[in-house]
Amino acid sequence: MTKTAISVDHIARVEGHGNVHVVIEDGEVKTVEMNVVEPARLFESMVKGRNFNDVPYIASRICGICSSSHVVTDLLAIEHAFDIEVSDRTKALRELLVYGSYLQNHATHLFVFAAPDFLGTSSIFPLSETDPDLFEKALNIKALGNELCTSIGGRSVHPITAVVGGFTSEISSTEYLVLADKLEAALPFALQTVDLFRTFRCPELQTAGDMLAMVQDDTYPVCTSRNALFVRSGQVFDAQEVDQAIEEYEVSHSAALLARVRKTGSPFFTGALARINASWDYLSKDARVAAAKAGLRPPEYNTFTNNVAQAIELVDVLIRCSELCRKLALADGFEGDSAPVSVVARAGRGVGYTEAPRGALFHDLTFDDEGRVVQASIITPTSLNVANLEADMRILAEQLVADGFDEDAIRLEIEKLVRAYDPCLSCSVH
Amino acid sequence: MSETYPQGRRLNGKGVRDRNRPVRVVIASFASCFGCQLQITNMEQHLMDVLGQFELCYWQLTSSDPMPESFDVAVVEGAVTTEEAEKQLRELRERAKALIAIGACATTAGIPGMAAKGFYEHPGSVYEHVPQACGAMISPRPLSAIVDVDFEVRCCPVDPYDFTIMLQRALYGSNKLATTRMLCSDCKRNETSCFFGEGQLCMGLVTSAGCGARCVNLGRPCQGCAGISPHANLASARKSCERYGVSVSDFDEKLEMFNQTNQAMHEAE
Repeated sequence: MTKTAISVDHIARVEGHGNVHVVIEDGEVKTVEMNVVEPARLFESMVKGRNFNDVPYIASRICGICSSSHVVTDLLAIEHAFDIEVSDRTKALRELLVYGSYLQNHATHLFVFAAPDFLGTSSIFPLSETDPDLFEKALNIKALGNELCTSIGGRSVHPITAVVGGFTSEISSTEYLVLADKLEAALPFALQTVDLFRTFRCPELQTAGDMLAMVQDDTYPVCTSRNALFVRSGQVFDAQEVDQAIEEYEVSHSAALLARVRKTGSPFFTGALARINASWDYLSKDARVAAAKAGLRPPEYNTFTNNVAQAIELVDVLIRCSELCRKLALADGFEGDSAPVSVVARAGRGVGYTEAPRGALFHDLTFDDEGRVVQASIITPTSLNVANLEADMRILAEQLVADGFDEDAIRLEIEKLVRAYDPCLSCSVH
Repeated sequence: MSETYPQGRRLNGKGVRDRNRPVRVVIASFASCFGCQLQITNMEQHLMDVLGQFELCYWQLTSSDPMPESFDVAVVEGAVTTEEAEKQLRELRERAKALIAIGACATTAGIPGMAAKGFYEHPGSVYEHVPQACGAMISPRPLSAIVDVDFEVRCCPVDPYDFTIMLQRALYGSNKLATTRMLCSDCKRNETSCFFGEGQLCMGLVTSAGCGARCVNLGRPCQGCAGISPHANLASARKSCERYGVSVSDFDEKLEMFNQTNQAMHEAE
């Protein structure tokens, strides 16, 4: 009997701590585990009893890179529970904040985490000498994401200004226009990024699971809808019913809970690729053309193409954000101002739902009549993805074994797959 | 006077630089959001100037190169929340000439530190059966509760340039002491008005200065992410709250966000 055990301890170039464990016996893939060993910080328990005002601030700390998404999702949950309506201007600013984290996340993931896989280097840093132009532009688009988050949220990581009911501070009209110009100027490089990632060869892999993304009429939504769609099955659910649509479950090899569709038991993928599958028709024209050129059209179920999907979203986000900035610069662009509206706490439950850069994010909060948290459930994209990732890792390993690849090649391809999912293990455990 | 922050005392103001070879640096992390490591990458324009000063041997977030046997400086993010992490931290400390703690989690146990209150209740409240992958969980603590820390970069998240300054001190030496001023002094310099006048709680009264009052400047009261200053007078701050009609229990509750493991919190009780 031949037994091969493939282990990657502390997989590199992902956010958080995780190990991969694959056992192959006599050409048969026996065990496939994504071993999430990220320390549990126990957020859901920690926020119990806390005043609602502190909760988005605390929840932001679940994740550095998508802190904006956690804050906005938490604010939506609170406002839903208390039945608070915010101004259109506040909603637009929140969209910008979420988009800003797309720019940060996708640029970091594509260039710092994923690209070295295809360039044959251990990190992005050698690129500063081999291709200084690409290196500089890659860092510039990441910096632009930081600038957008800093302009709107006051800081690149863990926004300051976004509070329950609105924003504590805003930039000037002139600054919005400068930002719009910069976003537009970055467009050619975003298109170049799509072309670059299109050329990186990936294994053929058809995920067996479903895909989950936010949907809204006539829009490519990231934080403006409460409807979630399972792309393959066609099941749509309201965010408030997330606990009935999605089942989270424990396994001993992961500190993150895993997830499956409650009705069918199927694992599923969430992230840029799921969004493009769900809302292809509403991508901005340039992004859709770039996607078609890159050969990515719905339905696309090869999860490796999540890399290209993120590059396409870079294009889309730049266009949307520059439009939003130009509209915010106008005195009458949006109704109302962004100053926080008055808030009266009441007992109740609210679910906040956004599409974080890495996929669907839910904060499910229940408050008592003083506005203190009674119950909290935080469902992050990566915890939704782990079960599907394991299923995909198995399909991939079986294909590679059948094609006679050696241990090192299998290890590398599995690592590439993990990184294509863009997991955030600190989010997943929280 | 209570103890002030560590600031290279073990190194006697000398840096770890060796004229004959590049300094070897590793970046490691424990329980955190990874935001402080990201902040290092977030100084894009200057990233290579900073990283170019030494040999970056290990940084899991950005590179698949494995942890080397020997190095000079360990930059550590995150709070210690497991026995395994405690052991790893001790090993890092043994090998490093200088250890730099970055961010609230590493310096004060930060937000993860909130779980120190009634710690043993928390895991069972999140998990039905705590997964093996969680390791042997312990009540969260900052790095300095376990090993000597040479330099600290405060706040949640760190400012990338504060990090660079502290790194320079570790490399080239410095006799500069850490500030123990309270944030209020920053607002005086900035000539910003005070939230207390509006009956709003602000943690600037007791929080270490150094950030330039970033949040206050954007219309939001200080949340205390730098941790309380060793010279903070909590009793006096509570009296100020009373005087301005701000709830003392809100003040005490807010203190827990970044100071739950600070001894001063428990002395006051």
